[in-house]
Amino acid sequence: MKVLLKLVIVVSVFSLLSACSVQRHQSVDQIQANKSSGFSMLPSWYHPDLGLQLLGDNEYPEQTALASLLQKADRAFLLNELQSCQILLERAQRISTRDPGVYVRLSYLSWLDGNLNKAEQMARRAFALVASDQYANIEVRRLLTAIQANQY
Amino acid sequence: MKKVTDSKFRRYLGWFFKLSLVGVVVLAVLMAYLDAKVRDKFEGKRWALPAKVFARPMELYSGLALKPKYLIQELEQIGYGRVPSVQTPGQYMVDGNEMDIYRRYVRLYDGEEQAARIHLRFDNNTVSGLWVDGVPTDIARLEPLLIGGIYPKHNEDRQLIKLEDAPKLLIDTLVAVEDRDFYDHWGISPKGIARALMVNMQKGGLVQGGSTLTQQLVKNFFLTRERSLQRKAVEALMSILVELHYDKDEILETYLNEVYLGQSGRRAIHGFGLASQFYFGKHIRNLNPPEMATLVGMVKGPSVYNPKRKPENAIARRNIVLGVMREQSLITPYEYKTWNKRDINVVEYSQYQRIEYPAFLDLVRRQLRRDYKEQDLTTEGLRIYTSLNPIIQRSAEQAIKKRLDNIERDFNLEKNGLQGAMVVASTESGEVEALVGDRNPRYFGFNRALDANRSIGSLAKPAVYLTALRDSRYHFITPLDDAPIKVAGANGNVWEPKNYDHESHGIVPLYQAMARSLNQATARLGLQIGLSNVVKTLKDLGVERDLPAYPSIVLGAFELSPFEVAQMYQTIAASGFQTPLKAIRAVSTAEGKLLSRYGFNVTQSIKTEPAYLIQKAMQQVVKIGTGRFLNSQFDETLNLAGKTGTSDSQRDSWFTGFSGDKLAVVWVGRDDNKTMPITGAGGALRIWAHTFKDLPLKPLYPLPSENIIERWVNVNGNAITDASCEGAQLMPFIKGQEPLQTTDCSQPEIAQKPWWSRIFN
Repeated sequence: MKVLLKLVIVVSVFSLLSACSVQRHQSVDQIQANKSSGFSMLPSWYHPDLGLQLLGDNEYPEQTALASLLQKADRAFLLNELQSCQILLERAQRISTRDPGVYVRLSYLSWLDGNLNKAEQMARRAFALVASDQYANIEVRRLLTAIQANQY
Repeated sequence: MKKVTDSKFRRYLGWFFKLSLVGVVVLAVLMAYLDAKVRDKFEGKRWALPAKVFARPMELYSGLALKPKYLIQELEQIGYGRVPSVQTPGQYMVDGNEMDIYRRYVRLYDGEEQAARIHLRFDNNTVSGLWVDGVPTDIARLEPLLIGGIYPKHNEDRQLIKLEDAPKLLIDTLVAVEDRDFYDHWGISPKGIARALMVNMQKGGLVQGGSTLTQQLVKNFFLTRERSLQRKAVEALMSILVELHYDKDEILETYLNEVYLGQSGRRAIHGFGLASQFYFGKHIRNLNPPEMATLVGMVKGPSVYNPKRKPENAIARRNIVLGVMREQSLITPYEYKTWNKRDINVVEYSQYQRIEYPAFLDLVRRQLRRDYKEQDLTTEGLRIYTSLNPIIQRSAEQAIKKRLDNIERDFNLEKNGLQGAMVVASTESGEVEALVGDRNPRYFGFNRALDANRSIGSLAKPAVYLTALRDSRYHFITPLDDAPIKVAGANGNVWEPKNYDHESHGIVPLYQAMARSLNQATARLGLQIGLSNVVKTLKDLGVERDLPAYPSIVLGAFELSPFEVAQMYQTIAASGFQTPLKAIRAVSTAEGKLLSRYGFNVTQSIKTEPAYLIQKAMQQVVKIGTGRFLNSQFDETLNLAGKTGTSDSQRDSWFTGFSGDKLAVVWVGRDDNKTMPITGAGGALRIWAHTFKDLPLKPLYPLPSENIIERWVNVNGNAITDASCEGAQLMPFIKGQEPLQTTDCSQPEIAQKPWWSRIFN
């Protein structure tokens, strides 16, 4: 039942974001055909500024190496290649140890993996890194609260 | 008379028949046994393949701080040759501030990197441009350095190849030199034996063997080196059995992988695949004919014709083999003439040469043992990808050796009496990037980084101050009393800690007491906040040992290894987030299938606010306290943080320090635990400085939270004051825990200069 609910949420989020998107990654078409993809696991309140730039590329960080790895990680996520996604995120973390977007994504992955404790710890790490950014602060706090309540 | 002869003859015939029957049965049983043995070995796993351990692959990208000399150092280590113009994989060239690298194909646990031309531009020791095959690129990886293997007891190493990988010329040469009738005989070659006999008789000694390639393989695979008729007979029988069951190609492929071709330290080099890499730094496919001749020549005597140790013998033998090649029309007379004069050109340092990092490999092995059986590690050819950074490792090794030599020289100490250990880790990911366990880094033995349990002295103090800062009664400038203190123990002993300078310093603000490493103030603070709370903080920082809550614990009168200290300080360096230190990123099969990954894990064990304050206090240690030597060595904007430690009677010299990205713990001491004429600042701190002096570090900015505020304070008055007051200082506090009193500019304390200004001009 839960999975079904998630799927419904995902499909609707996906359709909405697809409709709004201007620029698409090539892989999106593949995703559309794959309803059980990682993309389909995103929560309904998902905000693109937190990471997982699903369809556009306007919110990636300025550092090109980091942006490149995050884009690849997001693409892997969309293709439901969660292990590749995690490996790419860890490469990104080594390059830019304090990028909150990396930890937010790692948090999502742990959540999808059913590891709520790890998801929370990753979100806490992200939270510590965005403390001075009020907007991001609110968003990560929301993520934390949702994980703690296990609310998708 | 005739009757008697007939009956005797019949009796003999009967005996002969019976004996023959017994002989046939025994032979049949022996053949059956040998057959089972042959098939078992050939059809089972033929070789125990050691696990290969790799360093981290270097990531290249614009903005990467990297001195070109370190990139060159790494390229040389992974066996790249410097050339005027790159043509083939495995070469690089330098042209001013630009560099071209022809990367080899590399398979990693997370995918492949194709062979490609990487072009780099440097500006101010930073990569400012990156192109792959002419296209501007964001990020590229180099192949990782092979840093060792986990070998079976017999120390055999090999790199398996398929027959089709071996050049035809190599196989033709091998057959021509070792067994010309290989494709015609059934395991043994009467023609070959006769030819060998003739040659040996002519030369008057054992010059040529009559063994076929199959016999050589059987001897290496199944038998001892004993020279006896019985062994020869068994060898012949087994060779026939091998030929009966397997075709020539399979036998040849097995031979190519089995043959012994020299020694590298304790490691035995087996097979042409590994030998090509080891001696010439090339894949077997890329060998040139003189190199093939050298390797084929070595089969006769890998020690005598070793091109690294006995190049003259090797050249002479190679030329004989080249002669055979010419005779068999495998090469032309002109080629023979040209190649005959060539040097042997073995590679000095190839990545298949053993570059030993025994202490780090020890850590890898210990961490792997949690998930893998020892037998799997030494037989399955696993590929282990680690986080070792060869550049930092080398720098750490050199720094330890240099500083210990200098101390022994300056203080007229016996040579090699001092020992050292070091752990370097990434502050955020917890990956161990370097590990030194002995002043001789190639030493396989006691690993002090992991196993030296030593009193940590003042390195325990940050845990005490952190405990206070977690308690709402204390803040950054809480006045502490650095006055003599006596604590009576249960057994009648009295604990009476003294300061290093044997002075008492009166009332001192909290952060200064830590920066100056004051023992009396710390002891009083520890007792005030409660020993069990200090122990809890130590646990939260990652110390797993059971620590008894006795008073001297606050001054570090308990033992930890450098690795455990690194774990403890990683939590502080990562703003209260603990990540288990790890050396392994992933393990894959020999074919590249990912078996296990050791991903990033984190747990917040200390709130960010007290972690922020303790980082600030540790920055003060470097700015004004016992670690200020770093200030003279590094750019102040790095905001380094650290803590010196000297145990009782100067038996241990410690320093732990961190930047925004690297944490390192250094220990110096003696194995017999005798005293030394140095403190933490005089020994370990300088090793830390030498290690990182030339390496890029990221600045440390403690992570502020919304609950951290800064206030102008009169430090000595423990009061909030106005920014305009002379001597007012901006200090960090947790919201709601700032000093309660306020004062104006008239307070006399405000005019006082800070203690360090009074002492140091």
